[in-house]
Amino acid sequence: MSTCSECKSFFSREDEQGKGDCVLRVVDPRQAYYKTRPVNPDGDASGCESFQKK
Amino acid sequence: MKCTECSYEAPVPSFRYLYNVRIDASLTLRQCPQCQVRLVVDELAGEATQRLDDGDAPWGKSAGIEGLAEDAI
Amino acid sequence: MSAEPAKNDVSFQEHEEKQEWWWIAEKRRSKRLDYLRKAVWKKGALGGNYAPGIKVDLDGPKLFTDMWRFWKFDPVMMRRAKSLAHVLDNIPIFITDHSQIMGYWGSAPHTISWRVDGASMVNEELYNEPGVMPEPEEESLRKVAEINDYWAGQTAVDKLARILDPEDAVKFLSGAIGWGAPTSAYGYSGKNYEYFLKGERGFEDIIADIEKNIEEAEEKCVGTPGPDILPIYDRIQNWDAMITVLEAAIRFAKRYARLARTLAENFETDEKRREELLRVAETCERVPAKAPRNLQESFQLDHFVQILSRFEASEGAWPARPDYYHGPFYEKDVLVDKTLTEEEATDLVGEFMIRVYEVGGFGPRWAREGMQGITGTWVWTIGGVKPDGSDACNALTTAFLRTSRLIRVSNPTFAFRWHPKVKDEVMRECFECIRHGLGYPSFRNDPILVANCMNWHGHPIEEARTWVHQACMSPCPTTKHGVQPFRMASATANCSKMVEYALHNGYDHVVGMQMGPLTGDARTFTDFEQLFEAWTRQMQWLLSLLVRTVNLGRYKDPEFYGRPFLSGITERAVESGLDAVSPVGERGNCWITAFTWVENVDSLAAVKKLVFDDKKYTMEQLINALESNWDGCEQMRLDFVNKAPKWGNDDDYVDDIMLRCLRTMAIHSRVMRCTSNNTWPAAPQNVSGNIHYSSVVGALPNGRRLGDALYDGGISPGPGLDKKGPTAVLKSCGKIDHVSDGRAFLLNQRLSPTQMAGEKGYQLWRAYMRTWADLGLDHIQFNMVSDKTLRAAQRDPEKYQEVIVRVAGYSAHFVDISRKTQDNIIQRTVHGL
Ligand code: SF4
Repeated sequence: MSTCSECKSFFSREDEQGKGDCVLRVVDPRQAYYKTRPVNPDGDASGCESFQKK
Repeated sequence: MKCTECSYEAPVPSFRYLYNVRIDASLTLRQCPQCQVRLVVDELAGEATQRLDDGDAPWGKSAGIEGLAEDAI
Repeated sequence: MSAEPAKNDVSFQEHEEKQEWWWIAEKRRSKRLDYLRKAVWKKGALGGNYAPGIKVDLDGPKLFTDMWRFWKFDPVMMRRAKSLAHVLDNIPIFITDHSQIMGYWGSAPHTISWRVDGASMVNEELYNEPGVMPEPEEESLRKVAEINDYWAGQTAVDKLARILDPEDAVKFLSGAIGWGAPTSAYGYSGKNYEYFLKGERGFEDIIADIEKNIEEAEEKCVGTPGPDILPIYDRIQNWDAMITVLEAAIRFAKRYARLARTLAENFETDEKRREELLRVAETCERVPAKAPRNLQESFQLDHFVQILSRFEASEGAWPARPDYYHGPFYEKDVLVDKTLTEEEATDLVGEFMIRVYEVGGFGPRWAREGMQGITGTWVWTIGGVKPDGSDACNALTTAFLRTSRLIRVSNPTFAFRWHPKVKDEVMRECFECIRHGLGYPSFRNDPILVANCMNWHGHPIEEARTWVHQACMSPCPTTKHGVQPFRMASATANCSKMVEYALHNGYDHVVGMQMGPLTGDARTFTDFEQLFEAWTRQMQWLLSLLVRTVNLGRYKDPEFYGRPFLSGITERAVESGLDAVSPVGERGNCWITAFTWVENVDSLAAVKKLVFDDKKYTMEQLINALESNWDGCEQMRLDFVNKAPKWGNDDDYVDDIMLRCLRTMAIHSRVMRCTSNNTWPAAPQNVSGNIHYSSVVGALPNGRRLGDALYDGGISPGPGLDKKGPTAVLKSCGKIDHVSDGRAFLLNQRLSPTQMAGEKGYQLWRAYMRTWADLGLDHIQFNMVSDKTLRAAQRDPEKYQEVIVRVAGYSAHFVDISRKTQDNIIQRTVHGL
């Protein structure tokens, strides 16, 4: 099973061990932006369409 | 009153009242119950005079504008 | 990212001549502002419907509800604080390309937020709203249904509805007499800016103060037993809740800092943007934790506070005084230290407004129809005086005015506090905005309104001088005891019902029920005094019902809702440990928003003239005509319009009736008391209630039919009925005492853009404004877009997307408002000066 921590979009937090952020690029019809949300490094990435191996 | 579009005929109140933005004028907008078109109605005469299209100005120029420069309108 | 200067470009002159200001704005603004302005997903509803692509945010509601359920044994303040903290720690956040100011109330730029704990009625409406559910729709609907099931019966309004007097509740909820929800906790909130926005403290400083308070309180709790220590236990809980949410706010900002740093270090290849992102990171690490040091930090602190307040309680207004509070940083950065160029500062000022323009929450249909094209009445206060009475205008005042012409947003808008010491150069900037068709700033007469604040609510002069618009019109100080954290939302009266009920013995023919008191069959009235007596009783009944309802809402809000974040930025609450919602220690700053007011005056005058004075018609004939919506009585209707004096023509016959109505209402305003035992003055104005109520108010003796828009302003004459010119309008309005007859009086005026062109136009307008000031009016605002442009926009809306008009208490893009409202605006009298 691949996990978030193996994904290109995963960034671990320097000041909080065991926590990380998923950072993705989004381009919608009006604007482009980067969005983030907290993810667990050990989170199951098998169902994630955005997963890209590091 | 007769609808200018579909010729439906009925007393004025049967045409759904929409609004009048200049209450000092006897011109109103009503809707034909048959073809749903918005009609400009002369309430004194009890007659529909035309259908209302986007950008039409049935009440004419804004009040007060007559005293101002022509290109203001 | 500056745009090319194109002053000599011949096409600019052509566009200027054609008054196509939006085209000029687009070319003159920087590439960054152009991108950010066009990147906004408009959240205002068009014809009551949201634009395609707008989706409701379900992340926030789900996170909030999950935690709320989990902490079910906590008191309301702590429960909300923990739930809110969970949202702030976990909701997706984003950084738009080129942006420098962070924070959005939702999980993506195209989302509208949803307040799950406000009112079940609204939650049900959301479930049934077409087009706003995120894909896959079925899954979203299931989530919404689950959330709705949980909240049914336990939202703030649900709880209040259970204890309201049943008759009051039914009449209020009929929608005929009042507007808004009978609660104040999740409505508008005034902010104690003097406490947290003067560059003196950050949230860490506030937390330190609260911790000290807790320490002292805890010592008391282990001291001598007695009744005085009993309330302290609750206060400690409240203080803990404030700390919980303030700390979460700091973490929320740091999430942006972390994202900006990650982008700079891993994604961004452009060196300049990398630097910007690192500055964003530094800014969000600094504020709101610590006091701001520069303009970007000051703007960012303010914006975080606004966004966090919305996460806590939606908020329908945006009281602010940005030039006053951020001006010192602007002057330091741009003029003294020169760490920012004027162009760089313009980018920040413009983005500060754009970040506000993009904010929107899901609103019930009545709210969407009442505020066409926008999501709230966000009137920012600029200009005015300092507490010592000196001119408060600064370099940022003019920077805001200039920038607003570049970005042309319809929300926020400005209201300018005019006073005799305002410099000509500032007035010229204001005038340019109006000439560019923005419809703002509106003008507020500062000396009059300072006196008004002192008169109605006893604010000391230094505090009164800090006033900001609490919503569209009413001034509210930003001081510890002067700030009213809540607008008393449902005290919004559909005043035309006063005269309608006086004529129909309290019966409402539109909603089909007995609403007001039985004041007698008007067919039997034999003189005007009987009618006026009936009107007075209906007025007192209507206002009392609304005030009773909202007073109860305010009183129960600390128990039913609770606002830990707002409390944490309110000095009074930080000091006392009471929820900011509690009225203890507040002077009170209530007002009744008096929608559809002037119809009372014109209607009473028409009956007095044609029935009792001239005896041309009988009361019997009149009531019959009104009951038939004037059908078959067109000549009689025209007589009631044209043969009776109308407000706005300097005619004492009708103007005296206006004064009598206002003064009778002002007496009742002092009889009714708010939760702080203070007064309830009325502020005639309409937002766009004149359209919303057009299908609610029945036929009236001023000649309107059920269906017609009501007059557009609080004291504006009816469209086309002010036939004696602009000075006569001002003279009529000047007969009102704008200090003691009410809280504020909205006046719309329409001017000709051609006549206002050039220096001559400016001088004409200045002379007109001097008359306005001399006559002591408290408010005026202008539309200056030609009929030609507006008709063209009706015909070809795609081409005229950026045309802005002043609707009533707010501005909107012309293409975003209904045809009826558009026609109503076009038919307002254009006054030649
Ligand atoms: S959620 Fe998906 S995209 Fe994000 S880090 Fe995990 S696997 Fe990668």
